[in-house]
Formats: sequence, C-alpha cells, structure tokens
Amino acid sequence: MCPHTSLKQQFLKKWIMGLQRCSFSKKNMSILERKKTIKLSADIAMASARNGTTRWSRALISNASKDGSDNRLVQQILGPDSNTPAATTTNKAGTRRASVCKKIVKRSHQIRRRRRKCVAAAPVKAVTSSISEHLVRKRRQVLKTLIPGGEFMDEICLIEETLDYITSLRVQVDVMRSVASACFSQS
Amino acid sequence: MESNAGTKETRSNLTASDGGEVTAFESLQFTDEIHRLILAPTTDNSSSFTALLELPPPQAVELLHSPDSPKLIAASPPNVEDFQGSFRFPSNSGLIERDARFSLFSGEANNSNEKRNSPESKNVSANPEKNVKSEPAETESSQPLVSDPTVEKRSIKRKDRENKVKGSTKKSKTVANENSEDAEKLPYVHVRARRGQATDSHSLAERARREKINARMKLLQELVPGCNKISGTALVLDEIINHVQSLQRQVEFLSMRLAAVNPRIDFNLDSVFTSESGSLMDSNFPSLVMPAIWPEVQGNGHRQQYQHQWHLDTLQQPVWGREEVCNNYITPENSLLTYDSSANSATLQANHLKMEL
Repeated sequence: MCPHTSLKQQFLKKWIMGLQRCSFSKKNMSILERKKTIKLSADIAMASARNGTTRWSRALISNASKDGSDNRLVQQILGPDSNTPAATTTNKAGTRRASVCKKIVKRSHQIRRRRRKCVAAAPVKAVTSSISEHLVRKRRQVLKTLIPGGEFMDEICLIEETLDYITSLRVQVDVMRSVASACFSQS
Repeated sequence: MESNAGTKETRSNLTASDGGEVTAFESLQFTDEIHRLILAPTTDNSSSFTALLELPPPQAVELLHSPDSPKLIAASPPNVEDFQGSFRFPSNSGLIERDARFSLFSGEANNSNEKRNSPESKNVSANPEKNVKSEPAETESSQPLVSDPTVEKRSIKRKDRENKVKGSTKKSKTVANENSEDAEKLPYVHVRARRGQATDSHSLAERARREKINARMKLLQELVPGCNKISGTALVLDEIINHVQSLQRQVEFLSMRLAAVNPRIDFNLDSVFTSESGSLMDSNFPSLVMPAIWPEVQGNGHRQQYQHQWHLDTLQQPVWGREEVCNNYITPENSLLTYDSSANSATLQANHLKMEL
C-alpha cells in the first residue's frame, strides 16, 4: 500500500531497534518468550510510530509498561524517546482514574437497565429498534474490549480509533510477513 | 449577529437561485468538539489519523465518481474547491471571509449538503480568493488536503442516500478556504434542520452526533473489505470485529513464526537506512529486508560472498568483525555481536541452521 510506505519504514526501524535493545540479553529464551518479546516490540513500535497522537497507542504503551516484567523491556525499547515516558506516566494516572470511573459507569448502566425493565410495554416499533440498539450496543462492547484502551472511549472516538488501529495492524502484519518471508526464503 | 445575518443573506440568495425550499437553520454551540476538531494533530500525512482517512476516500471516490476527483485529492495541500453546482456564487469576498470566520458547519449534515456538488463539479479554480464560503469540516482545521477527500467522500456517500431521502434540500455554497478559519475558535455551529424535523437544540445535537457517527462508520465500511454491501450497523460491526480479531491473530502467528525462524536476528540498521532510505518502495521491501538480515556492505556485490559465509560458518566472530569494520555499526550491535560470539556453541549454531532450513 503506497500511502503507508513511510509508516512501514518507521515501524520497521523502531521494531528492529527495539529487538536489538531488549530481546537478546538472555541467553536461552524459550520460543514462547521470544514470541512474546517479538510481539511486544512490534506492538510498541507500532504504537510509538503514532507518537501519542491516538488513544489506542497511548493505552497500549501504558498497558505494557504497567506490568513489572514488561516494564523494563518497554523502557528499553522506547529508549531515549522523550515524549513517550511522559505520555505513559500521565496515562497511568489517567487509567487509574479511568478504572474508578469505569466502575461508576458500570453501576450507572446497571441502574439504567433496571429502570428500563420497569418501563411499560412499548409499541412494536420501539421494541424492534430497542432490539437493534441492544445488538449494536453488544457489538460495541466487544469492540471496546478489542481496541486497547477502548473502554474509556465514547462512540465517536471508538470508531476513529478503530480506523486507525486497523490500518496500523495492517501495516504491522505486512511488515512482519515480509520479514518472515525474507527470513524463510533465504534458508 | 451580523455575521449570522450575512450568512443568512447569502444563503437566501442561494436558495432563491437554487429554487429549493427555504429551510430554517439554527446555531448550536459545540465548543468542545470544535476545539478537538480544530486542534487535530498536524503531523505529516502518513502518520496521523486524519491522514489515514485519505486512504479510503481516494478509492471510494475512484469507484464512485469520475477520475477527476482523485487527482483533486492528490493535489497539494492548498487545495481549494470551487463548488459551482448549478449557480454562481456572489463574489463578495469580504462577506464570505467573515462568514467563514464566524461560522462553523457541524457534521456531515452540512458537509453533505454543502459539498454535494463537489464531486460532480470539479472545476478547481486556482485563485485562492474564494467566492465561496468556507466550511471547516472536522478535519479541515489543519489538514486541508485530508479534509477535502474526507468530506468529499462523505458527501459522495451521503449524496446518494440523501437524494433518495430528500428531493430538494437546500445547499449552500462552501469552499475550503484554509486561510480564514483554521486557527479561529468558532463558537457557533450552524446545523441545518431538514424539513419536517424537530428543531430544538437537543435533537439537533443528537442528529449531528448521529451523522458524525454514521460518516465514520462509512469510512470503516470502506476500510474493512466486504463491508460495503452489508447494510445495518450490527452486521457491519460484526465484520469489523472479525477483521480486527483476524489481524490480531495474524500478528500473533507471525511473531511466533519469526520467533521460530531465528532466535537472533541481527539487523544492520545504519547501512540499510542511510543508503536506501530514499528509495524504499513496496516492491523493494523484501529485498530491503534481506540485506538487513544478512548484514552486507552498501553495495550488493558482496552479497553472494556473505551468503556463502553465512551457510558455512554462520556466526563466527571474524565474519562479523570484518563487517563491523566495513559498516557503521551502532554500539549496541557491537556489544550484541561480541556477546553472540562468546555465547555461541556449536550445537546452538547447528540448531539454528536446522530451524532455518
């Protein structure tokens, strides 16, 4: 995809640098560990290629740096980048607040659901529309779980982040596939 | 307000000439949205979200409309559209600039209404002084190049739909006048209420929000393959979810595959990117990666030699050392290579070779 060539270059560069920095410090890594490291470095490279402009990238980086084991790797990968550590720290506080808010939101949803059940029987049209709304809402929930950091976004944001996330994933898959094919073709 | 009056004036002129019906419009305040939209990140085209919207629009536009539009989209950023439509616009540039400065049309309702003629009448005039009002769509603030295709695309999609829904809707003239309204903070949003619809602020806001969501859903539909024919939000969301899940699974699978290939992939970044950064194309991408994997001197002539060495004695120190001298390795790689040479055992090398083969 021609419009994404520079993005691919950027991603590849960051990924390779991340791999160099972090993953080969251990002597014998099992294959699962290697896979995890590769995937992690690829994800972080993809997210940092966005430079904190999109929410999913910030959420991805902050999630990865939350765990103790991955935190070191993430810091190594991100390296001397100045903007991302600041973003991660602010996002950490934000996610803590957001998790508290999430509970409140959940509670309010439950209350709303209970209130809706008490409403008298609506006409058929409203029922069908409410069914469709229910379906759409369910799927939105699923989408929120898929996109990193999606639970804290409203609908508009969610769709925008999905757009960006899909293109980034495509770039990631393309680059990884070409690297893998190059590796395999030489052997 | 004077600007509103001026706006109404020009609009009524248009409607009179257009022959359409006069519809009422109200102004709403969407300060938060406006701030967010105006202060969209201004990175280069390939790395910002709004630039990503470029991607489906050219395809969609090509599919749906004349080939003129992609050329238009591919034009340089000061991309000015002249929405001629079926009528001439009064060339009162002062009035129009003032309108542009003080009015912001929300969402896709107005985008579609006003930019409906854009794909058809692609007479891009070169003069920056516009005879047409500017309509800052969400993305227009700092990325006019991107906003135009976005809005166009939305307008194209909505055009079909709205042509069926409403026979004659008022169109006002709009133009992308980047100079005027980019940095301004626009307190009012003019949303046009269609005939027979409620005009209180809540429903208008709701409708604007709804239309924004629908526009983005359309973008998503174009991005995800196979979603174009599906109607209905739930099914489209199903497809999107499937697509995202499949992409994530592909990433997992590929990372596992890469982990199995070679436990130590040494990339020679510097030589690769300094020598070939200017000429990277997609077709050359695999060939670029391959020299990266087997570090080689800038020329390609040594490749055969290195491949031979790779197969024979893959990871011995003298090979790397020679290459180190030739190329500009970054220091982590130096340490990495020295570590590798010390840690290598014969069995490990054999295992690696077996895994590769």
